[in-house]
Amino acid sequence: MSKSVLIVDDHPSFRASARRMLEASGYAVVGEAADGAAAIAAAGELGPDLVLLDVQLPDLSGFEVAERLAALEGNRPEVVLTSSRDRSEYGDDVEASPARGFIPKSDLSGEALAELVG
Amino acid sequence: MSGLRRALVGLAVLALLIGFGSAALILTSDHTTPRGLATALILAAGWGFAFTGLYAWDRRPGNNIGPLMTAIGFTWFFQALQSSNDGVLFAIGTIGSTVPYAILVHLLVSFPSGRLESRIQRGVVGLAYFVTVPLQLVWALFVDPTVQTDCDGCPENPILIGGHEGIADAINAFQVLGGIVAIAAAVTILYLTWRRSPATERQALTPVVFTGGLAFLIVLALLIVGELGVSETVKDITYIASIAVFACLPFSFLFGLLRSRIGRAEEVSSALTAENAELTAELETTVAELRASRHRIVEAGYAERRRVERDLHDGAQQRLMALTMNLRLVRGKLGEDPAAAAELLDEAMTELGEATAELRELARGIHPVVLSDRGLQAAIGGLAERSPVPVEVLETPAERLPSPVESATYFVVAEALTNVARYAEANGATVRVRRENGAVEVEVADDGVGGADPAAGTGLRGLADRVAALDGELEVSSRSGEGTTIAARIPCE
Repeated sequence: MSKSVLIVDDHPSFRASARRMLEASGYAVVGEAADGAAAIAAAGELGPDLVLLDVQLPDLSGFEVAERLAALEGNRPEVVLTSSRDRSEYGDDVEASPARGFIPKSDLSGEALAELVG
Repeated sequence: MSGLRRALVGLAVLALLIGFGSAALILTSDHTTPRGLATALILAAGWGFAFTGLYAWDRRPGNNIGPLMTAIGFTWFFQALQSSNDGVLFAIGTIGSTVPYAILVHLLVSFPSGRLESRIQRGVVGLAYFVTVPLQLVWALFVDPTVQTDCDGCPENPILIGGHEGIADAINAFQVLGGIVAIAAAVTILYLTWRRSPATERQALTPVVFTGGLAFLIVLALLIVGELGVSETVKDITYIASIAVFACLPFSFLFGLLRSRIGRAEEVSSALTAENAELTAELETTVAELRASRHRIVEAGYAERRRVERDLHDGAQQRLMALTMNLRLVRGKLGEDPAAAAELLDEAMTELGEATAELRELARGIHPVVLSDRGLQAAIGGLAERSPVPVEVLETPAERLPSPVESATYFVVAEALTNVARYAEANGATVRVRRENGAVEVEVADDGVGGADPAAGTGLRGLADRVAALDGELEVSSRSGEGTTIAARIPCE
């Protein structure tokens, strides 16, 4: 059974491309959210296996959203952070976060994702 | 010793000799009584005025007060000639005896500057000289001292035109009246000068006003006493009082004059201090303004860089990321599903076109190439063309201007037109840029809703700072319902 995914990013063009890429790689995209608050709500409602989470969101940072998702009751999704910026720009924040890992947007692919979350 | 000081010393010696001569005349007089008192009055006032006048003249050579006081002193001795037993000297004394009172009026009116500044002042002094010089001369032709002043031992008047006693009385009455008016006016003018003077100058004028007023009363008393048949005791008391007052008068003038100089120095010093404090405050305000605007310019620089980073991140970078993912997908579909791959490629090309357009727009926001390459006319033409609201460019300078001026002008127009498109709800706007009187004048006006608040947004304030950095000024007039006009003036020689 394919993994269900929630895509969180404030840029519609990225969400569309990511959905296409993920679906082509065998993931089931169950929802999209454009900011942190919507992401937390959608995760609680949809219960995805995986959340592909942009670090720079209009309301909260991806790191804060990851913390909140990790604190959810019941089924807690795996979180993969992504950004158009390089990982080095965030220092130790990625390490300190409960997320499984970080993939720069330029390297994002089904294979890269599978390496992190299986 | 300077030429002036030598002359003043000469005059002092002369005053001394005239004083002694006068004393001799009075003391040997057949008709002057009491001789001692008369001598005291003549010497006290004559020498008093002459010496203090010469001293004032020496201390303040540019001021007329010294010469006027000296003149009073010298003319005062005419009165001594009236004690002479010789008819000619007596007549000369009679004619000259009233002159010092006219000069006294002149002195009171012009104190402390020594100048007659208003028509009223000149009129009062003119009246005083008229009643004491020409009228006195005419009066002297008709007066018989032995008859009219009850002077038993007085010599005969050698210039008497006899048989016209009525004329002498009429002239005398007019002189008394004119004299009272002139001295009263003089004291009033002095009092008004005192009232209008600043505190420091007032201190100097106070003794002069006081003794001047007293002198007026004394002259009045002398005139009344002369006219009325009062007792000898009253006459003597009035006489002694007048000696005292007239003796004090020159010293109060001298004191006032010198004090006035001190007062003036203090005033100049306090005015300088006040001006200095004002300049310092002004300078501090300017420095604070400069510091604030420097801070805002630096902050605006950072804000601009953040904006560019955000625009790049949100725009072109996102499109390029999406493009990368799409191209990766295309690679996977090339073999198995060429139709889907072609569709993805079409999308990718659209993304690429949009990313290119966004990058171009961004670059123009940082610095418009057309401005550096082709100047203001072309750059503003481009802004007008791209504006969603119709813009009419009324005037732009054809020649090239210094780069910072062109740049500031361009951004004023660009920001103003952006605001027109965003907030003004206008049907149209006009742009006028002209070079006039050593400056570039920029004006962008729209017919929109108005009510823009320059303090509210950072855009207009940033522009004001940019213009101020070139010593220019930016004005926004935007009354509600009357459209908005943004006008900038940037110095440009």
